[in-house]
Amino acid sequence: MPMSTIAARTRRGVLALALLAATAAPALAQGKAVTVALTADAVILDPHAANELTGNIMFYHLYDPLVTRTADLKFEPGLAESWQVVDDTTWVFRLRRGVKFHNGDELKASDVVYTVERLKKALMSSLVANIASARAIDDYTVELKTPKPYAVLHMAMAEVLIVSEKYAKAVGDEQMGLKPMGTGPYRLAEWVKEDRIALEAFADHWRGKAKIDRVVFKPITNPATRTASLLTGGVDVIQDLSVRDVASVQANPSFQVITRPSLLNLVIALDTREKSPTIDLPVNPMRDRRVREAITRAINVEALQKVVMNGFSTPSDQYVPSSHLGYVEGLDFRKTYPYDLAKARDLMKEAGFEKGFAMTLDTTNNRYVNDAAIAQALAGMLSRIGITLNLNLMPRSNFFGYIRVPSDKSSFIMSGWDTPSGDAGNMYSVLMYSRGAKAGYGQANRGAYSNPEFDAFIDKADSTSDMTKRDEFLKEATKIAVRDIPMIPIHYEQDIYAARKSVKVVPRMDKFIWAYEMDVN
Amino acid sequence: MFGYVIKRAFQMVLVLWAVSVLVFVMMSFTGDPTYMMVPLDATEEQIAQARRLLGLDHSHLTQYRLFLKNVLQGDFGRSFVFRQPANSLILERLPATLEIVFLAMAIALVVAIPLGVYAGANPKRAGSHAVMAGSLVGISLPGFWVGMVLIFVFAVKLQLFPSSGRGPTQEVFGIRVSFLTWEGLRHIILPAVTLSIGTLAILMRIIRAEMMEVMRQDFVRFARAKGVGQRGVLFRHGLKNALIPLVTVFGLMLGDLIAFATLTETIFAWPGIGKLLVDSIYRGDRPVIVVYLMFVALMFVVVNFAVDVLYALIDPRIKIR
Repeated sequence: MPMSTIAARTRRGVLALALLAATAAPALAQGKAVTVALTADAVILDPHAANELTGNIMFYHLYDPLVTRTADLKFEPGLAESWQVVDDTTWVFRLRRGVKFHNGDELKASDVVYTVERLKKALMSSLVANIASARAIDDYTVELKTPKPYAVLHMAMAEVLIVSEKYAKAVGDEQMGLKPMGTGPYRLAEWVKEDRIALEAFADHWRGKAKIDRVVFKPITNPATRTASLLTGGVDVIQDLSVRDVASVQANPSFQVITRPSLLNLVIALDTREKSPTIDLPVNPMRDRRVREAITRAINVEALQKVVMNGFSTPSDQYVPSSHLGYVEGLDFRKTYPYDLAKARDLMKEAGFEKGFAMTLDTTNNRYVNDAAIAQALAGMLSRIGITLNLNLMPRSNFFGYIRVPSDKSSFIMSGWDTPSGDAGNMYSVLMYSRGAKAGYGQANRGAYSNPEFDAFIDKADSTSDMTKRDEFLKEATKIAVRDIPMIPIHYEQDIYAARKSVKVVPRMDKFIWAYEMDVN
Repeated sequence: MFGYVIKRAFQMVLVLWAVSVLVFVMMSFTGDPTYMMVPLDATEEQIAQARRLLGLDHSHLTQYRLFLKNVLQGDFGRSFVFRQPANSLILERLPATLEIVFLAMAIALVVAIPLGVYAGANPKRAGSHAVMAGSLVGISLPGFWVGMVLIFVFAVKLQLFPSSGRGPTQEVFGIRVSFLTWEGLRHIILPAVTLSIGTLAILMRIIRAEMMEVMRQDFVRFARAKGVGQRGVLFRHGLKNALIPLVTVFGLMLGDLIAFATLTETIFAWPGIGKLLVDSIYRGDRPVIVVYLMFVALMFVVVNFAVDVLYALIDPRIKIR
């Protein structure tokens, strides 16, 4: 028999039934089934206690938010059928009636209030940082107060997954991590650690039952094994197809390769302090905008895309993608500062650094796609304008503590930033707002960039509850940032999936594979 | 014998304590795991809250004191990442690892003994040279490469075995095992073979060397003179005496395979403890690393103890003191 039973299990139709009968496998649930290979197992299935990709994928199968984020980062009614801004800091969300939890209980406004309160005390408390208080007006109406006007609260609510108050209180935190129970389109059938997470469609889901009845997620860390599992029929869909396997999978008529730019923007933060930790000069050259521009022009992002990334990256035009609030139509970092060595050298000369200087790049060697290779390429590129770039590569377990503000060991930091909230405001206020000026602002401003004009636009954006106005203020901030270059955006990584041709896969901008959107023919 | 056990137990406690100190000291250099668990835009208060939740808000010394206090009460700490007791994380994954390790050791023994005896008894034959050359290849090949090649040939090309994962499991005395069904066996064969190759090659070389040594001894000549057949000489007299050093090596190798089946587990997506260790190192999940390494140390101590006892049983000339 040239196919394993697992392969047979993942398919339906006569062939599969024949195989099943032939191998005398136990009777399986009727209907469509899909097996997906992920890069890792989930660690904990409590949506308020973890922030890693596999967990997030599971959370959105098992739970629902008030506002749903589509694959293209649009925001639609979820558990809330509508919402309105009552005054600058008050929002009212009206819940859908008759929404059932997996145990049959009905969703009530008190569950939403409990969720907010539980999150405040949890590891992921940052998800509700923009909620001052929650109150149930009646069983189906929730009033949320924000600490200050916040025009995109509904978008932030797309990341707040609603748990059942009764269930969470009854089972306690540890069991919440093992036996999740929400309103989501799938319920947990089985979780065998490091082997599989099996989900089955929840018949009473408020959107209607999912087309695929059973989804099995298998953690397969090794990229070559993942590809082999797809080719041998062990799985139907794989996450993160390795770049070197793309051509061979594409050439096979039974399979398809699906790619889409991710939200993760690789950015370099430039130190703008008076004195920079790794630059042995009395004054930090990067305080001079001309030096920052010279560095930008010396980095050949297209070469990085072609040579280092094998074509699997999208050069970033701004700090956030075009779907986001704050994106300026027609403004392109790559067109404003095209790769131009001669111009870059002139700028260095004008600024008085014709002879260049030496500094250190801090980045990871196991967090971003080809991070170490990119760092090496950057060193080569900057050497051509006289900048000696020493590389300080470290595993991610050390990196994020090392570069943490006040970043007193770093001058030049490459890291990724993604903004699934669909709004540039969060990134700007955290990464570029003057440090230490206000609580909750500038806490990851690693280059200590400070421009009162920029801050003023962020302040304005954060003091209106009108989304159009917020968008306009953020656009102004984007223009200032592109002019000042506190950070150089490099590229968005590409997400690559491969699947059997018969499976319809919808790649999502936020990377959260969602079986509810998939189908099998 | 009793004194010996006491001495061993004391040594064991010492080793475990040393391991725990080492891990704590090492982990204090690898940075604060909190930063990997909170979102990058977390504020100071949110980070402080996360640290409090994880029990990382004390100094390293206090954390270690708390750890020791809890261990004495049978609590080995909770994983920062999983929020589950660290020892149950390990115990949960242990059966899968033991399964491939025992099967790998069985394969290694079944193949290595006849080949080793043959090569040791007939060192000059062409077949023996082939066996020796093969064993050299087996020692030199990196396990992950062997695994990839086996997947490519037997799963992708010939489609004889599944490429990864563990097959269906059954409960036997509360432990989940997968080798009882054909489907489960099909899943376990490739990883077990991959894991066995290095061990097999080394065992074979040791058996050969020992056999060559033993076959020169007087008692072998006497046995032959007495009229014992070739098979009896080789297995009853020769192999039995050659096995003594093998027991030591075997014990150490068993420990080695259990502790470090990591690569094989990663390649075959085998849900064992090896992957847990690697993931925990990446995540800076100290409680899991400490308990894992203490467990490994404990296992080595126990295996060595068993080997010593076995020694005395196999060879009456050896006394345990």
